[in-house]
Amino acid sequence: MRRRLRTYLDRAFTGSSLLSILMMSAALVIILAPMMYRGSKAVLFRGTVEFRKMQLNEPMFHRGNSQAIAEETERTEAARKPVYDLLERFGALLDTELSQKRARRLYRELKKQLRNRVENGEISQDRCDELQGRAKQLRNALVDAYEAGDNETAQRKLAVVLEPGNSALLAGTVGEQLVGEAGSYAEILQTMDLSQRGLYRREYLAVKDIVGKLLGPPPEQRGQAHLTEFRYGATRWDRARQLLDELLWKTTWAAQENGGALSEGRTKRADLFRQTQLARLFDIIERDAEKMLAPKRTFYWQYFIDDCTPGHLFGGVGPEILGTVLLTALAIGFSVPLGIVSAAYLIECKRDSCFVRAVRVCINTLAGVPSIVFGLFGLAFFLDWLPARAPWLGFRPGSNILAGALTLAILVLPIIIRASEEAIRSVPRTYKEAALATGAGGLRTFLTVTLPAALPGILTGIVLSLGRAAGETAPILFTAAVAWRMGMPRSLLEGGTRALSYSSYDVAVGDRVAMDAPHNQYGMVMTLVLLVLLLNMFAIVIRSRVARKLRGQ
Amino acid sequence: MHRVRQIAALAALIGVFYGSHGFAAVEKAKATAEKAKVTKLQIEGSTTVGPIAEAFSEAFMRVHKDARITVKKTGSGDGAAALIDGRCDIATMSRFMKAKEFKKAVEKEIMPVAHVVAMDGVCVIVHPSNPIGMLTTEQVRKIYKGELTNWSQVGGADRAIVAISRDTSSGTFETFHKLVMNKEKMASAVETVGSNPQAHARVKTTPGAIGYVGLGFVDRDVKALKVDGVTPSRKTIRSGQYPVARPLFMFTNGYPKLGSMTHAFVTFHLSEKGQEIVEAKGFVPVTEY
Amino acid sequence: MQPARASTLSAEPVAGNSAAAGFDRPLLLTPGRDLAGFVGRLVGKAVLAGVASVSILAVLLIFAFITYRAWPFFAEGGLVEMLGSSQWYPTHDQAEFGALSMFYGSGIVTLGAMVVAVPLGLLAAVCLSDVMSFGIRQYAKPVIEILAAIPSVAYGFFAVLVVAPWLQQRWGMDTGTNALNAAGVLAIMALPTIISISEDAISAVGRDLREGAYALGSTRAETMVKVVIPAAHSGIVAGIVLGIMRAVGETMAVWMASGMSAQIPSRWWDLGQSVRTLTATIAQEMGEAPKGGSHRQALFALGFTLLAITFCLNMVSEYFLARAKRPAKAKSK
Repeated sequence: MRRRLRTYLDRAFTGSSLLSILMMSAALVIILAPMMYRGSKAVLFRGTVEFRKMQLNEPMFHRGNSQAIAEETERTEAARKPVYDLLERFGALLDTELSQKRARRLYRELKKQLRNRVENGEISQDRCDELQGRAKQLRNALVDAYEAGDNETAQRKLAVVLEPGNSALLAGTVGEQLVGEAGSYAEILQTMDLSQRGLYRREYLAVKDIVGKLLGPPPEQRGQAHLTEFRYGATRWDRARQLLDELLWKTTWAAQENGGALSEGRTKRADLFRQTQLARLFDIIERDAEKMLAPKRTFYWQYFIDDCTPGHLFGGVGPEILGTVLLTALAIGFSVPLGIVSAAYLIECKRDSCFVRAVRVCINTLAGVPSIVFGLFGLAFFLDWLPARAPWLGFRPGSNILAGALTLAILVLPIIIRASEEAIRSVPRTYKEAALATGAGGLRTFLTVTLPAALPGILTGIVLSLGRAAGETAPILFTAAVAWRMGMPRSLLEGGTRALSYSSYDVAVGDRVAMDAPHNQYGMVMTLVLLVLLLNMFAIVIRSRVARKLRGQ
Repeated sequence: MHRVRQIAALAALIGVFYGSHGFAAVEKAKATAEKAKVTKLQIEGSTTVGPIAEAFSEAFMRVHKDARITVKKTGSGDGAAALIDGRCDIATMSRFMKAKEFKKAVEKEIMPVAHVVAMDGVCVIVHPSNPIGMLTTEQVRKIYKGELTNWSQVGGADRAIVAISRDTSSGTFETFHKLVMNKEKMASAVETVGSNPQAHARVKTTPGAIGYVGLGFVDRDVKALKVDGVTPSRKTIRSGQYPVARPLFMFTNGYPKLGSMTHAFVTFHLSEKGQEIVEAKGFVPVTEY
Repeated sequence: MQPARASTLSAEPVAGNSAAAGFDRPLLLTPGRDLAGFVGRLVGKAVLAGVASVSILAVLLIFAFITYRAWPFFAEGGLVEMLGSSQWYPTHDQAEFGALSMFYGSGIVTLGAMVVAVPLGLLAAVCLSDVMSFGIRQYAKPVIEILAAIPSVAYGFFAVLVVAPWLQQRWGMDTGTNALNAAGVLAIMALPTIISISEDAISAVGRDLREGAYALGSTRAETMVKVVIPAAHSGIVAGIVLGIMRAVGETMAVWMASGMSAQIPSRWWDLGQSVRTLTATIAQEMGEAPKGGSHRQALFALGFTLLAITFCLNMVSEYFLARAKRPAKAKSK
């Protein structure tokens, strides 16, 4: 009995230990797989014609076959035309925003016209003021009329504009058109019930918004958008499909009898517009979406080189990689010589003196300091104290790359010292003794015999610390990292830089635009993890080769 | 070992490629800076105003090809601190400078000048499945003070209230603190997030959550509540009807020199294009352009 | 080719053996024979010592500056408030710097992480050292190393975008960013440290102990649990302490995963509540705190506390590591 119990316990123990390893492998896969998969969508995806247009037209990228793209644009525009037409026609009745904008524009043109006339001496300043004041009143009344929710208010406001004196007053100026607009609007009002319009308008605006995100602005307005994000439609087919779904279906929240939380439901948006012209729009889009967007498999490898628009909506992570490489290279450049020399000293000279013990304690302490404390130290030392007490060194209070790199160098120093120590120590004494036997001095032995023999181990340490430095965020948080900047800083001592680790954090919790482009979020983290993993794989490979070599000997 | 050396050489080559590209970029920036008169603009501050600053800089750099603009978004308090330290040219803040900050600025001989770029409303948002459509300021205050902990206490479903707030460096927080909390302390159980999009994401995914974001961050994924019976919208904010509204500022050190890049940037919002951008980003333009 | 000289290996002074064929410079000897060489060597050693002392310098500087910046806060009696009160309102007109809730946050998250990581880590270490064959071990070890190498931002990403919604939807928690989330992520991050050091310690236990136990008829489980692990306990404890250090010092992952609310929940064991750790507070609020103000001093004080805690933990782990090495030395005699 007792023996069986013990056997079971033994099996259970062995099983659970294997299980723990399996759980960790599973955890690794669970953590990395979604990141890699979703991140790869930033590089491999089905891009629409909007993507290709953006790559061609944006000065930042400027690549692509312009002729092929022009042909594609023609084809897709032809497919889109019915949609835009429907929207415009329906909107003429409903889209008060456009009408309001028109009214405002007319007013501005009138002002310019009047100003010109005053300058040319055709009318007096007083007359100009009078006309302008009146026109402003009319404009406000017209805008209010457009916004009004019921016919009565609208009629009332329009009556103000349509007062007989006004057209006479504003004759011969642009202001006439204001009155003209009011007139045609009054005509439309005869046939429409504005209270219904309010309902339709909300839905229409939502539809227009989604179509704008899907297909981009209509061809006439294409050059007007100031920001890149509004100039193009959906650049990726998966985003387009998401928008399509949003367009065709509306999420509704319905109250339940027990007064609890509202329950989610979906209705077809087409049903909301059942008896209007707009209902056909949904069928057209559903049927022809592919023709309108022309999705094609795209391999956007330039993702790793390209700059990005503000908010990381379009473009790639080139500057981030650059910033990370710069910071890491500088950090390694500072810490590797220091580290190897320190390790050499620790091993070669005076094994166990007080000083050596102190150095070891300090190395272990450094290895244990939290990374945020390194960041605090970098802030206090490189950005506060040094610029104040030793300005000749060139440090200035703003964040700069050198401060970040030096902080990272201190972070990484213990790793390099430990790895170098281990490597140098593992070089067999016979090498050193043989070298000394041939008459080489201490330094020459070290440089020509010990160091090359220890190089694989040292290299492993360097590569591991490269990975560590590339992935650390806290030390550069206060010293070097910047959310968005155009171009590289002019010098190492001025201005921060973008870095993969900080930008990953920024994009994960950051700009609203990143919410529309999750592939960029995942892409950035994927790039960081890939970079670090590649470095670590490399280190593992070196180490296994060394182990095999030593084992084979 | 030979293979390892090959891989090492390849990796070194790639590293050198990127590194030299980086150094070349730095050198090129230096060279072009010396050739053309590249003016740098350092902008730091609020995460609310940050998107406006970024959008402005994008449109700006199309017109002024010689501008190099850097935007940092860490909080209104950070922006003020940076301006006072002389680390930035423009501080974007979603609140006015506090007396302490003014004092410090004057001590360091910085004269902060405020430029109002847009108006914003702080909207109280909940998850769309929340049946509540409106709350009073009093109720919101009680929720954030921890006196109301279940939605059923204000007429909703039986669910715990998860209150989300911005951290204290945020101007959005300051406005909320002043106008809704009446400067009283929030309960310590309130979760703090670091930015508007984060608050939006938390409320979008948590059915029992309540939070507050700027007007530009209200979309179909969250529900904006009526506060004291007023729906937050451009009209109600501009007219002052909506109680929790505030101007968004850009602070400079003294009035910027006429014709300088800073001056052009802080007056960009006065142009029609600037106000259109403001509106496109979801805020309320200052003028009825 | 220069003829090899028949000289001894150590730098013993060899009388009168300078200028032999092909060698112009004498071997390093006493100052009397070769002043330049001696001075050169001395200078070289001094330079090396100087370089090696950079690490001492770095540690001293770090301690000095953190203390220097934190000192005004402590001088005004801030320590009492920091450890006694849980009201953290640094930007109010009457600022309060009670950091007890942050200490609680760091503590509960670390505790939760260790509760998961220690048993798992020990089992994994046992598996790696005793259960697995060499071939499989070569595949298992890289898994551990990759887990250690993943940047903390990636862990935070995973915690916020994958774990938090899962906790909310599947387990119906009020909020997905809470102490449980942070503890889980920290457990994964601390595991590699614990595993590698424990595995070293367990492997260092000699074969003789194991063979003795097997000879007496123990099963593998009994050998490990009753003989090997107690024998390796110093190293294992050192590994655990280092794992705690890693968990306490972690910033980015808990910043994103813990929900950042400075509270001590009414039921202290309730892991479903949002908490705030020391590290994340520093990261979040440092940018805002005006230079030289009391808020910044308070944050540096938090940093100093962190430094002190990790330093003490470091000393503890060094003690245990030294103890682990000592018996081996005694045994190898």
